[in-house]
Amino acid sequence: MKFIVSIKMVPDVYAPFQIKDGELLMDGDRMVLNAYDASAVEEALVLTEKYGGDVEVVCIGAAKASETIRKALAMGAAKGYHIQTNGDEAYDSSSYAQILADFLKDKEYDVLSFGKQSQDTDSGLTGGMVAQLLNLPYATNAVGLEIEDGNLIVKRQGDSGQEMIALPTPCLVTCSNDMNEPRIPNLKGIMASKRKPVESVAVSDMNLDGAALEAVSKVTSYSPVPARAAGQKFEGEPEEIATKVAQLLDTEANVL
Amino acid sequence: MSTLLTYVAISDGKIKRSSLEVLSHCKSIADAGGFSCEAVIIDENASSFTDDVQKYGASKIYTVSGDAFSQHQNGSLLKALTKVNESVSPALIAFASTESTKDVLGALAAQLKAGVVADVSSFNFDGSKVSAQRPMMAAKIMGNVDVTGNPILVSVRSGSYDLNENPSTAEVVSLDVSVDSDDLRATLREIISATGDTIDLNEADAIVAAGRGVKDEEAKNLISELASVLNAGIGASRALTESGVYDPSLQIGQTGKVVSPQLYIAVGISGAIQHVAGMANSKVIVAINKDADAPIFEVADYGIVGDLYKVLPPFIEEIKKIKN
Repeated sequence: MKFIVSIKMVPDVYAPFQIKDGELLMDGDRMVLNAYDASAVEEALVLTEKYGGDVEVVCIGAAKASETIRKALAMGAAKGYHIQTNGDEAYDSSSYAQILADFLKDKEYDVLSFGKQSQDTDSGLTGGMVAQLLNLPYATNAVGLEIEDGNLIVKRQGDSGQEMIALPTPCLVTCSNDMNEPRIPNLKGIMASKRKPVESVAVSDMNLDGAALEAVSKVTSYSPVPARAAGQKFEGEPEEIATKVAQLLDTEANVL
Repeated sequence: MSTLLTYVAISDGKIKRSSLEVLSHCKSIADAGGFSCEAVIIDENASSFTDDVQKYGASKIYTVSGDAFSQHQNGSLLKALTKVNESVSPALIAFASTESTKDVLGALAAQLKAGVVADVSSFNFDGSKVSAQRPMMAAKIMGNVDVTGNPILVSVRSGSYDLNENPSTAEVVSLDVSVDSDDLRATLREIISATGDTIDLNEADAIVAAGRGVKDEEAKNLISELASVLNAGIGASRALTESGVYDPSLQIGQTGKVVSPQLYIAVGISGAIQHVAGMANSKVIVAINKDADAPIFEVADYGIVGDLYKVLPPFIEEIKKIKN
């Protein structure tokens, strides 16, 4: 099967940040491959290693995003597509979905695979949007994938259990990071990635309707998360402090 | 008059409390802004839930019934919500952020060419735009987001609003939606439900969550006993669901469930940011960990530094005493 995995370069959520006058200030160099996308790449590699096929990756982003594409190629993907932006566009999930759907509409694939959300914004919308725009059967929040008789079998974590869903191809799936541990590229993979093809196209050359790309949701400002009041920490004789806290839950916190 | 439509989710034959929280909030926005507060129920037995939904102030309740809605399937839910939107033309559709909602929200937004914002912790509607707050960067910051569109779709984290009864007499309108294989496309083969009759974490008033420190049957038994004394749901950190100690549906964190109970007791959980992102909005947090420097203590209201095998037995005993 042929997989095209949509990947994104995102800020490292461990990087220090500051909020100043409603603006988020972060070190622009601390960018990583979105963890959920890494799992999607890994699972596509595992399945194609087992059953044959190809894995390609597509990434929307500024010039620097080529590092993220190289990372996926070093993991083992065969080819990358870089849809280049200037980096100052205020795209939302809908803008990304429009661009991806337009780019992918003439491509050949059996499975489009996405991370289920990006780890910086946690919106989780783009995959479903692309499925709808391309009119593909889809499943979200996959925690396991298999191939069976030309169908993609998705184990999806739902509200009341794990749903086993058979998707005819071509189809789209969004992946949780619970399905695998993405491989760390080895030296051989990193060397090989430098010779792998990356096709680039600028969004501005894609003949897209500018109004359709306009974000419908805009982050107007950032604020700190309201701080929790400082807690009490108890150390000492286990029985004594356990009893004390249980009593405080009753008399002070009033939650028993 | 603009309509605020709340999708009332049914799961395992029960109304999701989190969708009634959203309905309660929509009712207060509607009252303040002069909008109409309405609700839609999509389930095989949708009409059996209208009495309970009326209590929260909807003036009109739409029902979509049929076998196609006995289990969650994104094809049937999308078709139904698209039809409902056509019939009702709401300005806003509000959802509780469940896994079923997450499964359709993006596709529905694309289908309806709607504005959309997911997983908010608060929102308001002024007649033309939604202003929302949503946790970002693993819940380390809040993004203030404005959304326009017609309609605007909003999904809300559980526990963001209180239930607020507001009895009304609602007009019930049944809408017919037929679902065929072209709508479904995917085949739902089975649902593996490992949780049985355990307490739904999104609805639980109290949660006992186990982390890496919970290593053996003895520790698991202590967790179960504490949960049973508190009538609490049992959750787990990613380490324990990945290693198979607890079922994956019990995972709490950025990847799993985002919960906000009255009482959250973290046992043997170090407090990685991905875990904290899933429980930081709990009202009262208790942490039990033998490592005094564990980051979980930074968010805990009550921290107990100690070995869980030594701390839990007297802790459980004292709670039993108090409960009696």
